[in-house]
Amino acid sequence: MYVVEVIITNKGHVRDPEGETIYRDLIIKRGYTNVAGIRSGKYLKFHVQSDSCKAAVEYVKELCYKLRIYNPIVHDVEVRASGQSSCD
Amino acid sequence: MPLSIDEISAIREILGREPTKVEAYMFEAQWSEHCSYKSSKHYLRLLPTKGKDVIIGPGRDAPAVKVFNNYAVVFKIESHNHPSAVDPYNGASTGVGGIVRDILTLGAKPIALLDLLFLGEPNDSYANWLIRGVVKGISDYGNRIGVPVVAGMTWFDKSYNTYPLVNVACVGVVELSKLLNNTPKAGDLIVIVGNSTGRDGVLGSSFASKPLEDDSNNIAAVQVGNPLIEKLLIDALNDAVSKGCVKYIKDLGGGGLTTAVSEITAEYELGAVVELNSLHVREDDMRPEEIIVSESQERMLIVTSKEQLQGLISVLEMYDLQYSVIGYLDSSKVIRIYYRGELVAEVPSSELARPQIKLWDVEVPEEHSSLSKELSVPKVTNFKDALLKLISSPNVASKEWVYSQYDYEVGVRTVVKPGYGDAAVLRLIEVDTYSGIAVKGDGNPRYTSIDPFRGAANAVGECFRNLVSVGSTPIAIVDELNAGNPEKPEKYWYFTQMVKGVSWMAQELNIPVVGGKVSFYNEDLSNATEVKPVTTIVGVGVINDIRKSQTLNLKHVGNYVLVVGVTYPELGGGELLYRYFSIEAGEVPLPRPSTELLNGSYVRRLIDFGYAASVHDVSLGGIAVALTEMCIKGRKGVYVDLKNVPERGCELQDLLFSETQGRYVVEVRREVLNKALEVAHDLGVHVGVLGVVSSGDILFRYSNVDVLEADVDELHEAYENALSKSIEG
Repeated sequence: MYVVEVIITNKGHVRDPEGETIYRDLIIKRGYTNVAGIRSGKYLKFHVQSDSCKAAVEYVKELCYKLRIYNPIVHDVEVRASGQSSCD
Repeated sequence: MPLSIDEISAIREILGREPTKVEAYMFEAQWSEHCSYKSSKHYLRLLPTKGKDVIIGPGRDAPAVKVFNNYAVVFKIESHNHPSAVDPYNGASTGVGGIVRDILTLGAKPIALLDLLFLGEPNDSYANWLIRGVVKGISDYGNRIGVPVVAGMTWFDKSYNTYPLVNVACVGVVELSKLLNNTPKAGDLIVIVGNSTGRDGVLGSSFASKPLEDDSNNIAAVQVGNPLIEKLLIDALNDAVSKGCVKYIKDLGGGGLTTAVSEITAEYELGAVVELNSLHVREDDMRPEEIIVSESQERMLIVTSKEQLQGLISVLEMYDLQYSVIGYLDSSKVIRIYYRGELVAEVPSSELARPQIKLWDVEVPEEHSSLSKELSVPKVTNFKDALLKLISSPNVASKEWVYSQYDYEVGVRTVVKPGYGDAAVLRLIEVDTYSGIAVKGDGNPRYTSIDPFRGAANAVGECFRNLVSVGSTPIAIVDELNAGNPEKPEKYWYFTQMVKGVSWMAQELNIPVVGGKVSFYNEDLSNATEVKPVTTIVGVGVINDIRKSQTLNLKHVGNYVLVVGVTYPELGGGELLYRYFSIEAGEVPLPRPSTELLNGSYVRRLIDFGYAASVHDVSLGGIAVALTEMCIKGRKGVYVDLKNVPERGCELQDLLFSETQGRYVVEVRREVLNKALEVAHDLGVHVGVLGVVSSGDILFRYSNVDVLEADVDELHEAYENALSKSIEG
């Protein structure tokens, strides 16, 4: 069993009202001025049966695309094995 | 779409020199189809826009129509087709945001939203994703700003599988004395309030003025709505208008700052001086040409006098809204834009707001004559099967899957709720306890794709009937014309025919078309699919006493059921042909304005006199479907003799399923049947006593012969679950 994480955020130039609101109305107003910006997003954790870590990541990548769990025009998506940045 | 060579030389002539970069961007935005109506203006002049109650007609961000002496209803429709095709969730929600802000510009309080959605087949996985995104987008935005989505229509067709049409409308109300109808003057200040200006949506209108291509460069036009700021705008502007510290408001929609400033200055023969540095922007490194055409959402332009400014600022600060005083109006008739002290654009305001009118060639498409000719209609072999197919058609079946996602009651005004009446009925608590309005939206893409003139005229007719059915008197409509690429003669033809259809029917019904919108380039090049053109109509009616408003569910066993209007063999383009025979052709039912007027006044009388117990207009699927819906909603049966249907030249299947316009089914209280028939006789209205409400099955007979018998529970199950089953799988 492999754990695969999916992180979906709006692309750089697409606005993020949630992140902007947290940043402006919470962080900055409460004086945490070292924070330069916030982006919000969606996090999904998949428990996948697979022969290899790589295959598990690929499997999740494909299903996220095909099922339109994110919109490739609007979102950046990062799919990675849990706890490490790659399977190696 | 970039400017044409002709347009560029016209700009050179206007300026007497090469345009600066900022000027080029301004012209491209303002002269885009979306902002300038250059391909539609000529034809839109055909529409009847005046009426005794019309206070503000087309031209401003929204029109206003007088109701109940001291109030105005402000309502408008808009499409967000391109953005919804690219990003259904954000595209649809920003459509809602935009139309709400249009209503705010006249100082009105938004009280209701309508959505008119043309979506793909639910069993197509891509279309399914679009459907969910669009509905969720409208739902989330509407719920968060606290404006109920009360009515609309939803249509499913394969031509919308990759490219949906999303039309949204908003209705607002304002006391006449507070209606914002002032004239801005030289010396007044320009204030931008709301969201910061970002790179998002740079030249979005230009993007919406060409066919959609399959590439990720559409990114610039992806906009994310921020309903929290929108809600603050609604409350703050309401407050500022009541305190009298606002002179004039304009939405920053398509074309952004450029369009807002150019339209105000052109309309009132003024000039403007704008310093872009004063504007609150999202990114510090934004270039002036980006700032001037950015279409960032939730921004509005306020014109105020120097004396009023302090009052305005204190309101905006109270609501914690960002604002910038960016310049002022003057009498120069020239727009001067400065950036960091440097003059970056200097454009005559009237010229910027006046693009070259485009009159494209018109050609009747080849398929038109074959599609719209009279058909020899095949025979239905099993009427019950046909009825089941019709009521489980996603176009007919209950739209609960859609409207259950909406908050349709917030504001406690909604008297007749979705699913229970032909139109939504809203209490106008501002006026008094029992005054109200009815609102409804309609369109039939099958009709308009076969015969755009009749289809558009029938949309006006159906909207009229829906408003009458609930007991209101229709007072005004707005229209949205969704068409293809105007540069293609056979596509432009659909647009011209649709305008003519709306214009003719509205004139005949004596209902002004007080505003509207045109959306061209609704084509999906990547999939080479045809997107069916459609005209949507949103109408408003007034109800003096909402206690008399009517729903469509049958009420009492033993009551009589009347059919109002003559039925003709008009199955062409109808739901029966499509669902039962897979035919999308034939002669579209004839629009019948004089019949609409006569039958409408009869139905209104039945309601006024208290004779009616329920009312439903006859549309998709004919009398059989109308009556079945009344049975399903009332959990009653009905016993019908089709021999009593007033008709000419009809066979059995026509009596059941013909979509002849101008007809109603009315449940009449048992004891007043004769009185109801007398009124019909006096008015010269054709009425038939169709049958009696029962506690049993739905039974259609012709004389002594059974035609169709069905169990209401079985039909109920099919009607209520068909759509959610097909979407949820």
